[in-house]
Amino acid sequence: MTAPTDEATLSIPRGELLRSRVVADVGETLERVLDREITGYATLVPQETLLSAGDARGVLTFETGVPVLAYDTATDRGGPAALASIAVPGPYRVELYAVARSKLETAHATTALRVPPDAPATELAGDPALAARTRDAAPADRESDGRGGDERGGDGDAVTAFLSDDDRIAAIREQAREEARARAAEWGLDEALAESTEAEPGDPDETTEPDRF
Amino acid sequence: MVEAFAVASGKGGTGKTTSTLALGMALAVEYDVTVVDADTGMANLLFHTGLDDATVTLHDLLVEGTATDVTEATYERFGLSVVPCGTSLAGFEAADPARLRDVVADLATDTDVLLLDSPAALGSKSAVLPVVLADRVVIVVEPTIPALSDGLKVQEYARSYGTETAGVLLNRVREATESVATQAGRHFGGPVLASVPDSDVVRAARRAGMPLLAHAPDSEPADRYREAAARLEVRDGDGEAVAARFKSAVVPDTP
Repeated sequence: MTAPTDEATLSIPRGELLRSRVVADVGETLERVLDREITGYATLVPQETLLSAGDARGVLTFETGVPVLAYDTATDRGGPAALASIAVPGPYRVELYAVARSKLETAHATTALRVPPDAPATELAGDPALAARTRDAAPADRESDGRGGDERGGDGDAVTAFLSDDDRIAAIREQAREEARARAAEWGLDEALAESTEAEPGDPDETTEPDRF
Repeated sequence: MVEAFAVASGKGGTGKTTSTLALGMALAVEYDVTVVDADTGMANLLFHTGLDDATVTLHDLLVEGTATDVTEATYERFGLSVVPCGTSLAGFEAADPARLRDVVADLATDTDVLLLDSPAALGSKSAVLPVVLADRVVIVVEPTIPALSDGLKVQEYARSYGTETAGVLLNRVREATESVATQAGRHFGGPVLASVPDSDVVRAARRAGMPLLAHAPDSEPADRYREAAARLEVRDGDGEAVAARFKSAVVPDTP
């Protein structure tokens, strides 16, 4: 569901600010919204700039605690693809707003922006238990949301969108490689590192303390 | 002949221990297989193999100065040699995870396939050791963005230590995702070994304290694990040479 979306279709009133903070785990926000059956929306701004699209800014809407729409205002992507854009290993700055259900009706009619109710818990928070609770809380008529009309199931679309983003994957791998080498130095495992084809600027020349290995 | 695989995930709760045992039992049809609970801080293997009351465990082998032989902590279960880890905090605290290298070296002399059930996260030296020691890594992930991200991270950590990816196991798959399997295969250094469906059968096996392939051998998840094992091409290795390599592994080459 990556078709460009008419901005007008995501017209959401500002609403009443309930909460604004940086959270390490967006699952906390999703759980709070679910437990309190909040109707409204949250803006999610990943604080990790390296792995995000740069300035990804997600909007998730909720009805009675259950996620309905996802939108990334940086890329104008909506639905599962928007989840893929904003799914980074936290933290996020989250602002949560309450909006009257009647004022979200027009936006929520935009089926192209819908996501499976449990997809944010699965793809943003990696929390299967929360995903299951969200599925249980979702109305029956939400079952087909975000499924794209083919045999691919549910938020598979978000995962496919993520895996299709080669630049993003390359960034994750590069960051992991750098982290692995930094940690190896910290743990005295430098000697176990494989030969790197690249120069390692900044690597200390001196041998780390002799290890018991 | 021996090849050591670390079974790793980068994230807890992906079914790593279930997968380790299932791959082990499937491989045991053809090979001598030894399964080691290398997650010394979060013992799991013993609960899956009915070894809850094992008196000697990997912890005992990891205590400096003990003369415990590796055979005392090795149990024959379900056609596998199983080296469980203990659950006591005292055992964990007394254990020196760095001695895992010697244990692995000992085991390597007398088995075809070594499977190291590895810690979920890579946040410490002891947690990364199985990946450092193994020849290759099998990455177990759920097909979700956070789990795949963590799996990619494990792959890069492993590769940094010269441990390549043998394959990726998509686990707890809730709905068929052929496109996800295809795409995942592009980014991991090994094939997608199988997509194992999320199933109550798997949970029932765990509650019964049995490996899935013993508890429900005819179930679909069991079939998928056998398929994964068939795709995992075990490489020939000289047990003695591999043992020697483990013995010398990770020794700082100080002048």
